[in-house]
Amino acid sequence: MSDERVTVVIVDDHSIFRSGLRADLDASIDVLAEAGDVDAAVEAVKQCQPRVVLLDVHLPGGGGGGGSEVIRRCAADCPDTRFLALSVSDSAEDVVGVIRAGARGYITKGSSGEQVSRAVRTVAGGDAVFSPRLAGFVLDAFGAASGEQAVANDELDRLSAREREVMRLIARGYSYKEVAAELFISIKTVETHVSAVLRKLQLSSRHELTAWALERRLL
Amino acid sequence: MRPRACVLGGVCEGLARHLGWHVSTVRMLTIVLTVCGGAGALLYAWLWALVPLEPTTDQRDEPVRRRIPVAWMLVAAAFVAAVVLITMIVTVGGGAVVVAASAMIVFALGAVAWEQFVDGADVAGAVRPRGASAVRITTGVLLLVMVFVIPSVGGVRNGFELILLVITLLVGLVVLLGPWGIRLWQELIAERTKRVREEQRAEIAEHLHDSVLQTLALIQNRAGASSEVARIARAQERELREWLYAGAGTLDSDLGTDLRDSAAALEIDYPVRIEVITVGESLERASSEIAAAAREAMLNAARHAGGDVSVYVESSASALDVYIRDRGPGFTLDGVPEDRLGVRESIVGRMRRAGGTATVGRGVAGVGTEVHLHQEYENGES
Repeated sequence: MSDERVTVVIVDDHSIFRSGLRADLDASIDVLAEAGDVDAAVEAVKQCQPRVVLLDVHLPGGGGGGGSEVIRRCAADCPDTRFLALSVSDSAEDVVGVIRAGARGYITKGSSGEQVSRAVRTVAGGDAVFSPRLAGFVLDAFGAASGEQAVANDELDRLSAREREVMRLIARGYSYKEVAAELFISIKTVETHVSAVLRKLQLSSRHELTAWALERRLL
Repeated sequence: MRPRACVLGGVCEGLARHLGWHVSTVRMLTIVLTVCGGAGALLYAWLWALVPLEPTTDQRDEPVRRRIPVAWMLVAAAFVAAVVLITMIVTVGGGAVVVAASAMIVFALGAVAWEQFVDGADVAGAVRPRGASAVRITTGVLLLVMVFVIPSVGGVRNGFELILLVITLLVGLVVLLGPWGIRLWQELIAERTKRVREEQRAEIAEHLHDSVLQTLALIQNRAGASSEVARIARAQERELREWLYAGAGTLDSDLGTDLRDSAAALEIDYPVRIEVITVGESLERASSEIAAAAREAMLNAARHAGGDVSVYVESSASALDVYIRDRGPGFTLDGVPEDRLGVRESIVGRMRRAGGTATVGRGVAGVGTEVHLHQEYENGES
């Protein structure tokens, strides 16, 4: 997977941050374009059709919707593009907002170039990227600590026992590989679980999630 | 000094004490001077304004006790004037009506003014005595009743009397609703100021979020996770964040907040990055044994391992779990000499005494150390 070239567009309103990130990314990642606001980002993404968009959550311009707005406006024209949210903020509203808009992962800007590159490749491969904080947030939002558990697999409002286990390990700082070793399952299975959780996060109508989203007028 | 328990203003008594005379001598002198040209009254008012009140003996701000209820006397005078006014309208009419009406208005205003400015000023800071608003309400009601009574007895015969009637109405309304209106206005102003301030704060927060926080993130990113520069930047970021979003968080120190605080302190002292993640509502107080054990484990991780440390706190109604995980060289309990009390006593022993368990083991695939603290609750209470 690491041999494959991955094309990205970096969207962030700070040129210093963009160039810093660009310099830090792996050699296997091609930066096609950069954009500094919502409108420029939408145009760049539609024109370049990158594999992955590294997207800042707080962006000026457009309708004031920031990163979520970019995702929504690009979704129809770029079916193959995946979005990876990148933010200095780790507040619950920001995370849930951009994930529910369709981002495939969320990492903080404190992450090193290596971590970002790995996250880009994971997202390009179709999987979700969960930081420990996002995992903790998911556990909280889905009431996992109080013992709520999905009975059926397709239930959207609660996590299954296995998903909860995976989330808990990620929250404890385990990488996918370490989670796989701990639970005696393959990395692929871990990624499947994480993607399932991401889907639930995007589609669930759990009260806590919708309340956050509504507060930010995202729905 | 004017005494706090007094007849009118305490001026005569204060003056008598100061000069060593008898109180009644001073009073007589004042009255005589007042009768001969009003100098006594002027002197009285002047001294009242300038001579300070006697300081209270104890901590409580004792109100001034006045033997003559001036405000109520003025209210009574206004009543008398009202009765006289009605009599005048019915019997003689003309100039006497105007005099009586003016007297009524002046007495009413005087009563309210006395109550507001003289009585009110004396008890500043202390509890307003009961009946403070009674003066106001009685006066207002009297005036408004008069507004209805006067036309019904045929009191309005020319334009001048109509003007007096309107003045009576206005004064009555102001006296009744004035303080309420002023309070409403003040609240409105305060509300507006607060909103402007909030808006300004939000604006500043947004601006800093978009500029300074980004720069700090970049510095951390470029300087490497455990370098001195990155640590300083991280500490600054944390401080700025706390300031920006102050008020949103709880002041109450629960376990999660406490561990985050100690993580911040450790990050300044050691080359380490500690991420604290909390799930569920924590029932545990920061002072508890499990918090102390967790802090000790974090300190160990910071001291011996460094690098990235993950702290995960999961609390439910029935149990509390804390995981502290590092990626250092790792150690096990067996490898620790007997005389090293850190782990054995502060973590394991502490948890045992609190009725919980502590497990210290190697991390996954033999990398680093993971400490797991576990505490069960009897019936959902901590």
